Amino acid sequence: MATTTATITIASADIADNNFSVSNTSTLYTAGTDTSISETTGLGRKKFATDGNVVLLDGGLTSGIAADVTADKSAKVYIKNINSRGDGTKYVNILLAAVEIGRLYGGDWMFIPWCAASGKDIEFTASDATETTLEYTCFYE
Amino acid sequence: MATTTASITLSSSDLLSDDMSLSSSMQLYQNGTTATGLDEMRYHRLVVPTGTNFDLIQDSTALSEDASYVYIVNKNTDVTDYIKISINSEEIGRLYAGDWLFMPWDNDLTDEQSVSDQTGNDSTIEIQAFTHEHIIEFALFHNGETLQTAADS
Repeated sequence: MATTTATITIASADIADNNFSVSNTSTLYTAGTDTSISETTGLGRKKFATDGNVVLLDGGLTSGIAADVTADKSAKVYIKNINSRGDGTKYVNILLAAVEIGRLYGGDWMFIPWCAASGKDIEFTASDATETTLEYTCFYE
Repeated sequence: MATTTASITLSSSDLLSDDMSLSSSMQLYQNGTTATGLDEMRYHRLVVPTGTNFDLIQDSTALSEDASYVYIVNKNTDVTDYIKISINSEEIGRLYAGDWLFMPWDNDLTDEQSVSDQTGNDSTIEIQAFTHEHIIEFALFHNGETLQTAADS
Protein backbone atom coordinates (compact mmCIF):
# COMPACT_ATOMS: atom_id res chain seq x y z
CA MET A 1 0.00 0.00 0.00
CA ALA A 2 1.48 3.30 -1.07
CA THR A 3 1.66 6.28 1.22
CA THR A 4 1.36 9.70 -0.34
CA THR A 5 1.27 12.86 1.72
CA ALA A 6 0.38 16.43 0.95
CA THR A 7 1.77 19.11 3.24
CA ILE A 8 0.85 22.77 3.23
CA THR A 9 2.36 25.64 5.14
CA ILE A 10 0.99 29.16 5.01
CA ALA A 11 3.07 31.71 6.85
CA SER A 12 3.35 35.43 7.25
CA ALA A 13 5.26 37.59 9.67
CA ASP A 14 3.29 40.73 8.95
CA ILE A 15 -0.25 40.07 7.75
CA ALA A 16 -1.40 40.29 11.36
CA ASP A 17 -0.17 41.81 14.59
CA ASN A 18 1.63 38.58 15.39
CA ASN A 19 3.19 35.91 13.23
CA PHE A 20 0.65 33.81 11.38
CA SER A 21 1.49 30.25 10.47
CA VAL A 22 -0.61 27.20 9.75
CA SER A 23 0.63 23.83 8.60
CA ASN A 24 -1.10 20.55 7.86
CA THR A 25 -0.16 17.20 6.39
CA SER A 26 -2.76 14.89 4.96
CA THR A 27 -2.28 11.35 3.81
CA LEU A 28 -4.17 10.69 0.59
CA TYR A 29 -6.64 7.92 1.37
CA THR A 30 -9.34 6.34 -0.73
CA ALA A 31 -12.86 7.47 0.10
CA GLY A 32 -13.92 6.60 3.64
CA THR A 33 -10.95 4.36 4.40
CA ASP A 34 -7.42 4.50 5.74
CA THR A 35 -6.19 2.76 2.61
CA SER A 36 -3.90 4.99 0.64
CA ILE A 37 -4.61 6.16 -2.88
CA SER A 38 -2.50 4.08 -5.21
CA GLU A 39 -3.01 5.64 -8.63
CA THR A 40 -1.93 8.86 -10.28
CA THR A 41 -1.95 10.39 -13.72
CA GLY A 42 1.68 11.28 -13.11
CA LEU A 43 2.97 14.79 -13.36
CA GLY A 44 2.01 16.49 -16.61
CA ARG A 45 3.48 19.61 -18.14
CA LYS A 46 1.69 21.26 -21.03
CA LYS A 47 2.14 24.45 -23.03
CA PHE A 48 -0.86 26.29 -24.44
CA ALA A 49 -1.09 29.37 -26.62
CA THR A 50 -4.76 30.22 -26.67
CA ASP A 51 -7.19 32.42 -24.81
CA GLY A 52 -9.96 29.94 -25.52
CA ASN A 53 -11.42 27.50 -23.04
CA VAL A 54 -9.37 24.30 -22.63
CA VAL A 55 -10.29 21.10 -20.81
CA LEU A 56 -7.43 20.01 -18.58
CA LEU A 57 -9.06 17.04 -16.84
CA ASP A 58 -12.21 15.64 -18.39
CA GLY A 59 -14.63 14.23 -15.82
CA GLY A 60 -16.83 11.30 -16.74
CA LEU A 61 -14.95 10.12 -19.79
CA THR A 62 -15.54 6.54 -20.86
CA SER A 63 -12.00 5.96 -22.05
CA GLY A 64 -8.50 7.22 -21.43
CA ILE A 65 -6.77 8.08 -18.18
CA ALA A 66 -9.53 10.35 -16.89
CA ALA A 67 -12.01 7.48 -17.20
CA ASP A 68 -10.14 5.77 -14.40
CA VAL A 69 -10.91 8.55 -11.94
CA THR A 70 -13.92 7.26 -10.10
CA ALA A 71 -16.49 9.97 -9.52
CA ASP A 72 -17.51 11.16 -6.07
CA LYS A 73 -14.54 9.59 -4.32
CA SER A 74 -11.41 11.28 -3.00
CA ALA A 75 -9.43 12.33 -6.06
CA LYS A 76 -7.02 15.24 -5.57
CA VAL A 77 -5.70 17.60 -8.21
CA TYR A 78 -2.60 19.80 -8.17
CA ILE A 79 -2.14 22.54 -10.77
CA LYS A 80 0.63 25.08 -11.07
CA ASN A 81 1.02 27.98 -13.49
CA ILE A 82 4.68 27.75 -14.44
CA ASN A 83 4.83 31.12 -16.18
CA SER A 84 6.68 33.98 -14.59
CA ARG A 85 4.51 36.53 -12.88
CA GLY A 86 5.40 39.12 -15.51
CA ASP A 87 3.66 42.40 -14.85
CA GLY A 88 1.07 40.68 -12.67
CA THR A 89 -1.79 40.99 -15.14
CA LYS A 90 -1.51 37.62 -16.88
CA TYR A 91 -3.28 34.70 -15.31
CA VAL A 92 -5.17 31.51 -16.00
CA ASN A 93 -8.78 31.22 -14.94
CA ILE A 94 -9.43 27.78 -13.50
CA LEU A 95 -12.99 26.56 -13.99
CA LEU A 96 -15.06 23.64 -12.80
CA ALA A 97 -17.42 22.91 -15.68
CA ALA A 98 -18.45 26.47 -16.61
CA VAL A 99 -17.97 27.98 -13.18
CA GLU A 100 -14.82 29.94 -12.49
CA ILE A 101 -13.00 28.92 -9.34
CA GLY A 102 -10.23 31.48 -9.42
CA ARG A 103 -7.12 32.82 -11.05
CA LEU A 104 -3.69 31.25 -11.05
CA TYR A 105 -1.13 33.94 -11.72
CA GLY A 106 2.39 33.04 -12.78
CA GLY A 107 3.97 30.92 -10.07
CA ASP A 108 0.67 30.16 -8.31
CA TRP A 109 -0.43 26.62 -7.46
CA MET A 110 -3.61 24.98 -6.17
CA PHE A 111 -4.49 21.65 -4.59
CA ILE A 112 -8.15 20.63 -4.46
CA PRO A 113 -10.35 17.58 -4.18
CA TRP A 114 -12.11 16.72 -7.43
CA CYS A 115 -15.51 15.06 -7.67
CA ALA A 116 -14.69 13.95 -11.25
CA ALA A 117 -18.33 13.34 -12.13
CA SER A 118 -19.59 13.52 -15.67
CA GLY A 119 -19.40 17.08 -16.93
CA LYS A 120 -17.35 18.26 -13.96
CA ASP A 121 -14.33 18.98 -16.08
CA ILE A 122 -11.46 21.02 -14.77
CA GLU A 123 -10.89 23.64 -17.41
CA PHE A 124 -8.90 26.80 -17.84
CA THR A 125 -8.97 29.99 -19.85
CA ALA A 126 -5.84 32.09 -20.14
CA SER A 127 -6.14 35.85 -19.93
CA ASP A 128 -4.45 36.18 -23.31
CA ALA A 129 -3.14 33.96 -26.08
CA THR A 130 0.55 34.17 -25.23
CA GLU A 131 2.13 30.90 -24.22
CA THR A 132 1.13 29.48 -20.85
CA THR A 133 2.70 26.44 -19.24
CA LEU A 134 0.84 24.42 -16.63
CA GLU A 135 1.97 21.50 -14.54
CA TYR A 136 -0.68 19.22 -13.11
CA THR A 137 -1.26 15.87 -11.54
CA CYS A 138 -4.21 13.91 -10.23
CA PHE A 139 -4.21 11.30 -7.47
CA TYR A 140 -7.23 9.03 -7.61
CA GLU A 141 -8.81 5.69 -6.92
CA MET B 1 2.09 45.32 2.34
CA ALA B 2 2.26 41.91 3.90
CA THR B 3 4.37 39.00 2.78
CA THR B 4 2.51 35.71 2.94
CA THR B 5 3.91 32.48 1.59
CA ALA B 6 2.03 29.29 0.76
CA SER B 7 4.09 26.14 0.28
CA ILE B 8 3.15 22.63 -0.71
CA THR B 9 5.02 19.35 -0.70
CA LEU B 10 3.61 16.22 -2.31
CA SER B 11 5.68 13.16 -1.57
CA SER B 12 5.63 9.41 -1.64
CA SER B 13 8.33 6.80 -1.45
CA ASP B 14 6.22 3.98 -2.85
CA LEU B 15 3.41 5.31 -5.07
CA LEU B 16 5.68 5.03 -8.10
CA SER B 17 8.67 2.84 -8.82
CA ASP B 18 10.91 5.61 -7.52
CA ASP B 19 10.60 8.33 -4.91
CA MET B 20 8.23 11.14 -5.78
CA SER B 21 8.62 14.57 -4.29
CA LEU B 22 7.18 17.80 -5.57
CA SER B 23 7.45 21.11 -3.79
CA SER B 24 6.27 24.57 -4.67
CA SER B 25 6.11 27.89 -2.91
CA MET B 26 4.21 31.03 -3.85
CA GLN B 27 3.75 34.54 -2.53
CA LEU B 28 0.18 35.78 -2.22
CA TYR B 29 0.21 38.93 -4.35
CA GLN B 30 -2.50 41.38 -5.27
CA ASN B 31 -4.00 41.32 -8.75
CA GLY B 32 -2.02 43.29 -11.33
CA THR B 33 1.08 43.67 -9.20
CA THR B 34 4.47 42.04 -9.29
CA ALA B 35 5.34 42.13 -5.61
CA THR B 36 2.55 43.72 -3.59
CA GLY B 37 1.26 41.21 -1.10
CA LEU B 38 -2.33 40.67 -0.04
CA ASP B 39 -2.69 42.32 3.33
CA GLU B 40 -6.14 41.22 4.49
CA MET B 41 -7.26 37.85 5.77
CA ARG B 42 -9.72 36.05 7.99
CA TYR B 43 -9.32 32.75 9.74
CA HIS B 44 -12.17 30.72 11.20
CA ARG B 45 -12.68 27.51 13.11
CA LEU B 46 -16.23 26.26 13.27
CA VAL B 47 -18.51 23.28 13.63
CA VAL B 48 -20.58 22.33 10.58
CA PRO B 49 -23.70 20.29 11.38
CA THR B 50 -24.91 17.64 8.96
CA GLY B 51 -27.90 17.84 6.68
CA THR B 52 -27.65 21.31 5.16
CA ASN B 53 -25.55 22.90 2.46
CA PHE B 54 -24.20 26.09 4.05
CA ASP B 55 -22.57 29.19 2.67
CA LEU B 56 -19.01 29.17 3.94
CA ILE B 57 -17.46 32.18 2.21
CA GLN B 58 -19.87 34.60 0.60
CA ASP B 59 -18.95 36.57 -2.45
CA SER B 60 -18.87 40.32 -2.42
CA THR B 61 -18.28 43.01 -4.98
CA ALA B 62 -14.83 43.87 -3.68
CA LEU B 63 -13.68 40.30 -4.14
CA SER B 64 -14.55 40.38 -7.83
CA GLU B 65 -11.90 40.16 -10.55
CA ASP B 66 -9.12 39.96 -8.03
CA ALA B 67 -6.63 37.58 -6.46
CA SER B 68 -8.00 35.82 -3.40
CA TYR B 69 -6.97 32.49 -1.94
CA VAL B 70 -8.91 30.01 0.15
CA TYR B 71 -7.62 27.35 2.53
CA ILE B 72 -9.95 24.79 4.11
CA VAL B 73 -9.02 21.85 6.34
CA ASN B 74 -11.29 19.11 7.68
CA LYS B 75 -10.23 18.52 11.29
CA ASN B 76 -12.36 15.42 11.90
CA THR B 77 -10.52 12.15 12.51
CA ASP B 78 -13.04 9.45 11.55
CA VAL B 79 -11.97 8.36 8.06
CA THR B 80 -15.58 7.95 6.93
CA ASP B 81 -16.38 11.60 7.60
CA TYR B 82 -16.35 14.02 4.72
CA ILE B 83 -17.53 17.43 3.64
CA LYS B 84 -18.53 18.51 0.16
CA ILE B 85 -17.10 21.78 -1.08
CA SER B 86 -19.04 23.53 -3.84
CA ILE B 87 -19.01 26.80 -5.72
CA ASN B 88 -22.13 28.14 -7.40
CA SER B 89 -23.82 24.77 -6.82
CA GLU B 90 -21.03 22.94 -8.64
CA GLU B 91 -19.38 20.40 -6.39
CA ILE B 92 -15.62 20.78 -6.41
CA GLY B 93 -14.99 17.67 -4.37
CA ARG B 94 -14.91 15.98 -1.00
CA LEU B 95 -12.56 16.67 1.86
CA TYR B 96 -12.28 13.58 4.02
CA ALA B 97 -11.02 13.68 7.59
CA GLY B 98 -7.64 15.37 7.67
CA ASP B 99 -7.81 16.58 4.07
CA TRP B 100 -7.17 20.19 3.11
CA LEU B 101 -7.46 22.34 0.01
CA PHE B 102 -5.83 25.53 -1.14
CA MET B 103 -7.12 27.32 -4.21
CA PRO B 104 -7.52 30.70 -5.80
CA TRP B 105 -10.97 32.22 -5.65
CA ASP B 106 -12.55 34.89 -7.79
CA ASN B 107 -16.04 36.26 -7.64
CA ASP B 108 -16.43 36.22 -11.40
CA LEU B 109 -20.18 36.45 -11.71
CA THR B 110 -22.67 39.22 -11.23
CA ASP B 111 -25.05 38.14 -8.50
CA GLU B 112 -23.03 39.32 -5.53
CA GLN B 113 -24.50 39.52 -2.10
CA SER B 114 -25.50 43.05 -1.19
CA VAL B 115 -27.79 44.90 1.13
CA SER B 116 -30.57 44.60 -1.42
CA ASP B 117 -29.74 41.02 -2.36
CA GLN B 118 -28.80 38.94 0.65
CA THR B 119 -29.21 35.79 -1.39
CA GLY B 120 -26.60 36.63 -4.01
CA ASN B 121 -24.57 33.49 -4.21
CA ASP B 122 -23.03 33.07 -7.63
CA SER B 123 -19.51 32.47 -6.42
CA THR B 124 -20.16 31.66 -2.81
CA ILE B 125 -18.14 28.74 -1.50
CA GLU B 126 -20.50 26.24 0.06
CA ILE B 127 -20.00 23.37 2.47
CA GLN B 128 -22.05 20.35 3.50
CA ALA B 129 -21.11 17.83 6.16
CA PHE B 130 -21.89 14.13 5.95
CA THR B 131 -21.99 11.31 8.52
CA HIS B 132 -21.14 13.54 11.50
CA GLU B 133 -20.82 17.19 12.34
CA HIS B 134 -17.44 18.50 11.25
CA ILE B 135 -14.85 20.77 12.73
CA ILE B 136 -13.26 22.77 9.99
CA GLU B 137 -10.83 25.61 9.79
CA PHE B 138 -10.66 27.94 6.84
CA ALA B 139 -8.81 31.04 5.77
CA LEU B 140 -9.46 33.67 3.13
CA PHE B 141 -6.60 35.86 1.97
CA HIS B 142 -7.89 38.81 -0.02
CA ASN B 143 -7.59 42.41 -1.10
CA GLY B 144 -10.68 43.84 0.56
CA GLU B 145 -14.25 42.81 1.17
CA THR B 146 -17.49 44.73 0.76
CA LEU B 147 -18.83 45.14 4.26
CA GLN B 148 -22.55 44.76 4.61
CA THR B 149 -24.50 47.61 6.10
CA ALA B 150 -26.05 46.57 9.38
CA ALA B 151 -29.73 45.80 9.00
CA ASP B 152 -30.58 48.07 11.92
CA SER B 153 -28.36 50.96 10.92
